[in-house]
Amino acid sequence: MARKTQENPALDMTPMIDVVFELIIFFVVTLTEAQKKDETIELEDGQHGIVLVPENLPPTHMQIDIASRDKDGKPLPRARISMGDRDITPDEIGRRVKEKYRKIGEFPVLIRADYDVRHEAVARVMNACTANGIWKISFMAIAEDKTSKPGNPGRPNLSRLKRR
Amino acid sequence: MARKPQENPALDMTPMIDVVFELIIFFVVTIKQEDLFSQLNANRPAPASSSSSSSESDTTVTIEIGRGRDANGIIVYNKRVKRLQELDNDLREVARTSKKTPIIVKCATDSPHKALVDVLDICYRHELFSVSVFTL
Repeated sequence: MARKTQENPALDMTPMIDVVFELIIFFVVTLTEAQKKDETIELEDGQHGIVLVPENLPPTHMQIDIASRDKDGKPLPRARISMGDRDITPDEIGRRVKEKYRKIGEFPVLIRADYDVRHEAVARVMNACTANGIWKISFMAIAEDKTSKPGNPGRPNLSRLKRR
Repeated sequence: MARKPQENPALDMTPMIDVVFELIIFFVVTIKQEDLFSQLNANRPAPASSSSSSSESDTTVTIEIGRGRDANGIIVYNKRVKRLQELDNDLREVARTSKKTPIIVKCATDSPHKALVDVLDICYRHELFSVSVFTL
């Protein structure tokens, strides 16, 4: 079909706006998809650690969540170990670490564990990593608390040192 | 419905601005302020060396973490139970001597993870970065 010669030189913005909306929706959906994690975990404060910004965390990193409570806040008899909010066994972590290590060599492992989880569960995860070549383990903590309200009953604040 | 030929060639920006404002307000309202996170790195010793203490030099600082009575766990340094503030002072002294001092944190299996993070945080505060975590 031949193009009609336009009498009106103004650009029709409608398709461009359609495309921009499409892009916005795409990015919003994929961004929330990528940040799947166990939402129940409450971290301990660690104001002096290396501040975690997405730029200094390489995309090859592996994040493992260890929760001590279920979604309703009840203590679990056994800590829940998960990756991307999916339950995982230490054996499975070991396999994944091994495979990734074989492909790309050393990569950072970040453990995001509840403040009151027993060390035993953390040790199991760490052992799965060390058995497969990763010796450096990072623990996630809160550098600056912006979400919890004063008097939040969740995380006791007994140990907080004075901020500098 | 056929498009009316426009007499005015200028693009009417009003609806677009309306929509953009709507979007800005939507994102401002829905985006929730996230906590700022930090990471504390530690090394895990080789399983073979965990049984032998021959690699520990005289200057090595050993901190033990146990279960304790409350949620904070119990921290032992120099055979004495320490509160975090006391450990903070002790490690300040250690860091004054040498920032390269190796630190070994020995955690009991039933100790809370919180205590380990607290100890690592104090180590980082005094720039003592060579920390190893053992599990008892």
